[in-house]
Amino acid sequence: MKRRGFLKLLLALFGSTSLVSFAYPLLRFFAPPGEKAKAKQISLKKAEISSGEAKDIVFNNMPVIIINRPDKGFVALSRVCTHLGCLVAYDKTKKRLLCPCHAGTFDLEGKVISGPPPRPLPKVPLRVEGESIIIG
Amino acid sequence: MWNRIKNWIEIRIGLDDLVRTQLKEYSVPRNINIFYTLGVVALAAYIIQAVTGFFLLVYYIPHPDHAFRSVQGIMTVVPYGWLFRMVHIVGSNLMVAVVFLHLFSVFFMGSYKKPREMTWVAGGLMLLAVLTFCLSGYLLPWSQLSYWATTIVTSMPTAFPYVGDFASNVLRGGEHVSGITLNRFFALHVALLPPIFVLIIGFHIFLVRRIGISSPPFGVSGEAKRPWTEYRHESHPDGYPFYPDFVLKEMFMVMVYLAVMFLIIAFMPTLFLPQDANTPADPFRTPAHIKPEWYFLAPYQMLKFIPSKFLGVSMQLILIVIFLLWPFFDTKEEKNILKRPLLLGVFFLSLGLWIILTIWGEYS
Repeated sequence: MKRRGFLKLLLALFGSTSLVSFAYPLLRFFAPPGEKAKAKQISLKKAEISSGEAKDIVFNNMPVIIINRPDKGFVALSRVCTHLGCLVAYDKTKKRLLCPCHAGTFDLEGKVISGPPPRPLPKVPLRVEGESIIIG
Repeated sequence: MWNRIKNWIEIRIGLDDLVRTQLKEYSVPRNINIFYTLGVVALAAYIIQAVTGFFLLVYYIPHPDHAFRSVQGIMTVVPYGWLFRMVHIVGSNLMVAVVFLHLFSVFFMGSYKKPREMTWVAGGLMLLAVLTFCLSGYLLPWSQLSYWATTIVTSMPTAFPYVGDFASNVLRGGEHVSGITLNRFFALHVALLPPIFVLIIGFHIFLVRRIGISSPPFGVSGEAKRPWTEYRHESHPDGYPFYPDFVLKEMFMVMVYLAVMFLIIAFMPTLFLPQDANTPADPFRTPAHIKPEWYFLAPYQMLKFIPSKFLGVSMQLILIVIFLLWPFFDTKEEKNILKRPLLLGVFFLSLGLWIILTIWGEYS
């Protein structure tokens, strides 16, 4: 091998090694730390949400809505629309959850009624103990 | 005194020769029209954005606790801060409009055809860079509008399985738009995009000068109808000198651009500043009837009525790729679009669809 060819080979080797060795650190540098919020329970008084009303709370860094359905009792749903992440709002008169960004609508079980959302709103564990509602 | 300075420079860099060969002897086609000035108007628009952006940087604080207040301070406390911010806001919208018009006119004149395919691709990349500038700058005031617009855009990659969630989290620096997102977008807006944009502009101008300005397909043209089998500079020997003839036209159009900008600032100051742009970001309340800027209304409406998120986002990506690589799809030699009814139909159909989707998005 001639000296110029050898230098080209070395350059390609060192260049590609440098690129590859920076690729992974760069990816890790821009990736979020991935710290999950600790699962804590939240307790509310039943009386805080009268029948047909809803209350917005934040549970483990996630916006959540608790609805007191007149016929089926309490339910807790994530407010983050499964389409593109806007927060749904409760429409008391239509008994629906509406996303203001791309007009997705959900029923009070979190199921998609219309619009582009691909999945139902995730349910958040909820149980009623005496006069309290325990979330989580 | 002036002559002495001129002479001093002349001896060192040969300024007269440079002006003669690069400006006076550089010719533009005889049948050139006013639409050919839009490239320089776009360049002037970018320079205005860079200068006013620097002024805003002097007072802006890129932190979620201070960003909104610092922008309000620029508008109400800093002397003439409102003027520079308004020029920056109105300028960003007008710049998008000018780049759009430039691309429309280039398409209509058939100037993207061989050997100018790379010039078109560079122009298309410039439009994408301008839109990325707008998107990243949008978050910086940390208003309701900026927060939720960024939430939507950074959620778009989630349409793709496996890598989508990871890509979204990388863009945002977490699961939600937060202070980390603000820092990322700030870095993108002021440190990464400007050199990239300048590089693309430089490459675009280099290509225009190297190949020569294309002749419009309409009117009397002195362009030789020789096939492009090897490199040659299209010199337009029977054309007009670039300087002073064409430069004066370009400067006139830059003045028209400034006139439109100040007309909007003076008489329609809230045109690009809706109420949600003056409300601080609230991560727990999406405002009702939130809408993007006018240039994103068509893709916004597409996402609304296409039932599948994957399909909606994929279709937009495919349309962007087709737009960028259009010269490689349309390889016919005929430049005059009036002699190609099918292409003319596709052009007006696409334009009509875009306008309909924009109006639909605004009033839906």
